[in-house]
Amino acid sequence: MPENAIFVKALRFDPSRESAGRFEEYRVETAQPLSVMALLAKIHDQDATFACRTSTCFKGRCGSCLVRVDGRDVFGCTALIYPGQSIVVEPHSQFKVIRDVAVDFAAPQAVAGDGVGAE
Amino acid sequence: MKISERYGAEVMVIGAGSAGMRAALAAAEAGAKVLLLNKGPLAKSGITLTAAGGMQVPSQPGDSQELYWQDTIRSGYGLADENLVWAMAEDAVARAADAERYGARFVRDADGNLAIGRFPGQSQPRNRFFKGGGIGLVTALAGACRRNNIIVMDEILITGLLRTWSGSDGAVAGAIGLNLRTGQLVRFDARSVILATGGCQWLWEVNDCPADATGDGQVLAYRAGAELIDMEMVLFYPTVIVWPESLKGAFVHYEFLSPEILDGNVYDTAGAALLPKPLPGRDEAMRLMAAAITAGRGTAHGGVLWYVGDSPQGTEKVRKTLDTLQYNYIRSHGVDPASDRIEVAPGAHYLMGGIAINEECRTNIAGLFATPECAGNVDGANRLAGNGITATQVFGARAGYYAAQWAGEHAAAADAAEVDAELARIAAKVAASGKNARHVPAIRRKLRAAVQRYAGVSRDGEGLRRLLAVIDEVQGELAEVRVPFAGVYNQQLKDVLELDSMCETARLVAGSALRREESRGHHFRSDFPQSDDANWLKHTSVKLADGGPVYGTRPVARIGRYDNC
Repeated sequence: MPENAIFVKALRFDPSRESAGRFEEYRVETAQPLSVMALLAKIHDQDATFACRTSTCFKGRCGSCLVRVDGRDVFGCTALIYPGQSIVVEPHSQFKVIRDVAVDFAAPQAVAGDGVGAE
Repeated sequence: MKISERYGAEVMVIGAGSAGMRAALAAAEAGAKVLLLNKGPLAKSGITLTAAGGMQVPSQPGDSQELYWQDTIRSGYGLADENLVWAMAEDAVARAADAERYGARFVRDADGNLAIGRFPGQSQPRNRFFKGGGIGLVTALAGACRRNNIIVMDEILITGLLRTWSGSDGAVAGAIGLNLRTGQLVRFDARSVILATGGCQWLWEVNDCPADATGDGQVLAYRAGAELIDMEMVLFYPTVIVWPESLKGAFVHYEFLSPEILDGNVYDTAGAALLPKPLPGRDEAMRLMAAAITAGRGTAHGGVLWYVGDSPQGTEKVRKTLDTLQYNYIRSHGVDPASDRIEVAPGAHYLMGGIAINEECRTNIAGLFATPECAGNVDGANRLAGNGITATQVFGARAGYYAAQWAGEHAAAADAAEVDAELARIAAKVAASGKNARHVPAIRRKLRAAVQRYAGVSRDGEGLRRLLAVIDEVQGELAEVRVPFAGVYNQQLKDVLELDSMCETARLVAGSALRREESRGHHFRSDFPQSDDANWLKHTSVKLADGGPVYGTRPVARIGRYDNC
């Protein structure tokens, strides 16, 4: 496995047009570890049709970056991925998908309201 | 694209950070039916989330409204609107109490006494800290908005304001927006509109704001005929992290370097300390740091080194001071702020200029209100730590109150021609299969690199003219881009609309910076390195006329207290 890139399999899904998503593979060149959030922003720059959140609080707290990596729900801004690693990125499991890994934090309301990101 | 949904309200607030939510609450408490719009998810986007400095409140023994006013005026180098600052000094204590009423909590000790800080430029200790920082405040205000039956629509990017007619005396009557959840355009009708969208810091490669800060509100107002002032006045925070890459945009406290706190310093790569003690104001500090970086004394990533690892205050105090969410975030990226040298550079932190308002937060357009950071004439040429959040609470409340009052007395109906013009503007950015859409990231990089280089900490006439030429090129390239119609969450269209706002604000920043031929506060012109009080104790101003910016100046409002400072 080369040590100058991170490999990401990311879910592509438009629920308004498709009944199921599919994975697309991306290669992100980097010699440094990157947060999942920074990785996704780089993928959006490579492929603008890939939808993801880009806002952050720089504190690992607000939860705009919530996403699922290798089967675990994580804060994308603090989950660090190293060159040479391969990961699978899906939408966070607790929210409805809007598109790709961008989810609707207002649905379900009970989770978005007070629970997540404000522990 | 056609309008697929339509909503109405008496007061419409655009932007749901701490200013917008405070405005919405004030309008709702005044009895108005309020619609609060946000381009990202509520409490998960916006600039307030990044705030770490707390709020200035002149409530301690020995402090006063007068002293707070004097500190703020002095810090603004004669460009702060003295009436606005007086309003802020007058209301701050009450608005701090409101924040607690809405559920925000100030940091207190075990006996319930407020933790009070004193940052550079504050003659009295008056800085309070929110539990959870900006996130704590935003979370509380979001809860209060829900309890007050404010209708919140998030994921709405407003693209243009609507007026009763297109002339200069047209009143605001609503807006057109892109609903990212549905991918459709939405029309909003409102009797008054409050702009609370923050600043345009994302224009600079080095900044400490979320990517949301694209100058949307300033451009909405400008295109509708509002006067913007002091757009050259951008506050640069001295110590924004530039490396490692995924920590870019986080910051370490400049204030912690002061002798009373951690007594650290910023060093060049040869180990020479760059800052004198006592610690200078932020504007002077960032110039010392930028000069070292420009002279080649910085790191390969364009940074100098923030370091508190040898603090005379001892490792225990360092550990305790840096035991916060903000510093734990840095640790999660494999960097220890208590012992490592942190690569930092001055980064765009706050837009001090913006939409011109009066003490009632009115703009020159009937029915259109604005509140800092989106509004511009509060701080002048430098902003004290802690005044950013105080301004959101004071002027947010004022904007909401007066917008509700206006809505109670005026009806407004948008001119159909205004609607058609905005729809045509958006339609010109979309095509069935798209065109040149893959170039957008490169076009944005080109703009941001030019703004960073020519409109940063040190500016000169030649560079600013070059920046204006780059902006022409970038706008030309952007005009050739069509994004495909993608349906839900059309992030490509959002990118293009935001880049469009960024180009426009970059032009206004560069044009205003070019006209201010002097140095004052955070605006430093290497070709005019001295302040010129004889000619420039006044605001730059800009309005749209005949398709382009028309620049002028305007006097600073005085209430006769400046001589006492």
